[in-house]
Amino acid sequence: MSDSRDAPVVAVEGLSKHFGNVVAVDDLSFTVARGEVCGLLGPNGAGKTTSLRVLMGLERPSRGSVRLFGEPVRAGSPQLARVGAMVEQAAFVPHLSGLLNLKLWWEADGSRWGRADLDGALAVAGLGDAVHRTVRTYSQGMKQRLGFARLLLGRPELLVLDEPTNGLDPGEIREVRELIGRLTEHGSTVLLSSHHLSEVEQTCTNVVVMNYGRLISQGTVSELIGSSGSVYIEVDDRERARTVLEAIDGVRTVHLQGDGLTVDTTAGRRSDLNAALVRAGLQVETIMPTQRLEDAFLDLLDARNTPGAPIGATS
Amino acid sequence: MIALVRTEFVKAARRTRSLVIVALLIGLPALILFAIHRRAGRADRGGDRGEGLFRLAHQSGLLVPAAVLSVMSGFLLVVIAGTIAGDSIAGDAAWGNLRYVLIRPVSRVKLVLAKGLVAGFLIWAATVLVMVAALVGGVLFFGAHPVTVPNLSAFGGTGALSFGFTLSSSALVLRVLIATAYVAFGYSALLAMGTFFSTLTDTATGAIGATIGVYIISEILNSITELGQVRYAFPTHYLDAWEPMFTGNTYPHDMIVGVVVQLVYLVVFGAAALVWFQRKDIRS
Repeated sequence: MSDSRDAPVVAVEGLSKHFGNVVAVDDLSFTVARGEVCGLLGPNGAGKTTSLRVLMGLERPSRGSVRLFGEPVRAGSPQLARVGAMVEQAAFVPHLSGLLNLKLWWEADGSRWGRADLDGALAVAGLGDAVHRTVRTYSQGMKQRLGFARLLLGRPELLVLDEPTNGLDPGEIREVRELIGRLTEHGSTVLLSSHHLSEVEQTCTNVVVMNYGRLISQGTVSELIGSSGSVYIEVDDRERARTVLEAIDGVRTVHLQGDGLTVDTTAGRRSDLNAALVRAGLQVETIMPTQRLEDAFLDLLDARNTPGAPIGATS
Repeated sequence: MIALVRTEFVKAARRTRSLVIVALLIGLPALILFAIHRRAGRADRGGDRGEGLFRLAHQSGLLVPAAVLSVMSGFLLVVIAGTIAGDSIAGDAAWGNLRYVLIRPVSRVKLVLAKGLVAGFLIWAATVLVMVAALVGGVLFFGAHPVTVPNLSAFGGTGALSFGFTLSSSALVLRVLIATAYVAFGYSALLAMGTFFSTLTDTATGAIGATIGVYIISEILNSITELGQVRYAFPTHYLDAWEPMFTGNTYPHDMIVGVVVQLVYLVVFGAAALVWFQRKDIRS
């Protein structure tokens, strides 16, 4: 199999997908580099799931192309063996045990069961003896965990996760977040679609924002949050800090707030503000954006929700 | 491909439904055998004579499979074969499992072929199971004797029998084997249509209903003789063409035509299933 190590793990170029007159994805382009944890964000109907389905070869693009590891993706493409995916909810053959489901899924393309990372996958699933029970007796949370076990069987280089925490309780959501973190430490690339913006903020390094099937924004999480331009700072001398900050180009206003200051800035990074304060001999206790990803996300959607935008896209 | 066939077979064979089908396929021949036995008793006392294979079956256990097949091939086996074929792909889609099968590097053509092969095997296995159950029960009840078949065309209204012909035990066994293969192959059109319908929908019951529905409509239209030669193209028209092997001592030419008709349906609907499924967006 040819593979360029320099090629993005995921490359979506001018992707469009129509269902009759309904435009689900419209000229979407983005890339995910090796090792990135990329969040795919958008409201319901933004085209996230459709994009991921095309990426996995489940749907055919109307226009444009999708590449995995530098190679075009089609149904049954060999590079799919390097991907672990959970598209919407995990689903299994209900009358078979969890373990037999994993085995049959793994062996479907002729892979030898002995080569699957069963121990690692079962450790993640944490289902214990329940893995020998038929899946129809599982709760949704158990199915999701078995789904994670399934996608990890092949030690995938790319994880494609579509709303992976749906149906999980808060403890399980936290486990999933930690799991994704562990996987990325081992070099896996992750493309994660989620409605939980706090989850994306805590898990992802990069974000692709979609609305009405189109790309709205792409960048690192800090860039997206930072673009809102509001920063909260705690220092040992607030008045002197105010003077220092007001002298920086691009800083529009500085307000005292609680134990610190809120800075409204049009340019520059938080590290620049921090450097200026330190140079002035101030001790910086806290410096963080006042907005969370959720605020930035909603601001982006508000800014792009122009009248006449196409309505009716499906996810 | 072998791995795919094996996994699909395990999925199909381990269903509770499969056990129910096996129980039906053994239980119903036993019931029919019991009915033949009772009818034979009444005939001996000068009562109900019945007609055709059902009446003759008590002469030899080797004829019981043919009698059972004549009863079961027109409906119950159709329902079972339609269920197996219609469920083949739509069943996975209904569970939401189809997308996970297809995010493996698995060719869609191979998947349809594997599912079709497994469905075909199960349909053949169902037909063979009926025949084996009937044969074993028949031989146990009535022995494995040759059969003297009267000239059944002379039944008419008079009830008078003229001498027909005798089928030896070996001839009966051979014809039972041929009839089994013919009837099993006679569901090829149903298999192909069921698989095709199964690619069209994500609802297994819809695909099963459509498959069986086409057969029921075919049977209804086939009974309208005014339709003339059009009926020859119906998938059910030649389904009973094997019966004259037992009642007329001939290997009917219609059986060859029946095989050709089934082959045409198999190729046309099989190809349609492959083409459609290759292009289909998997949304389940």
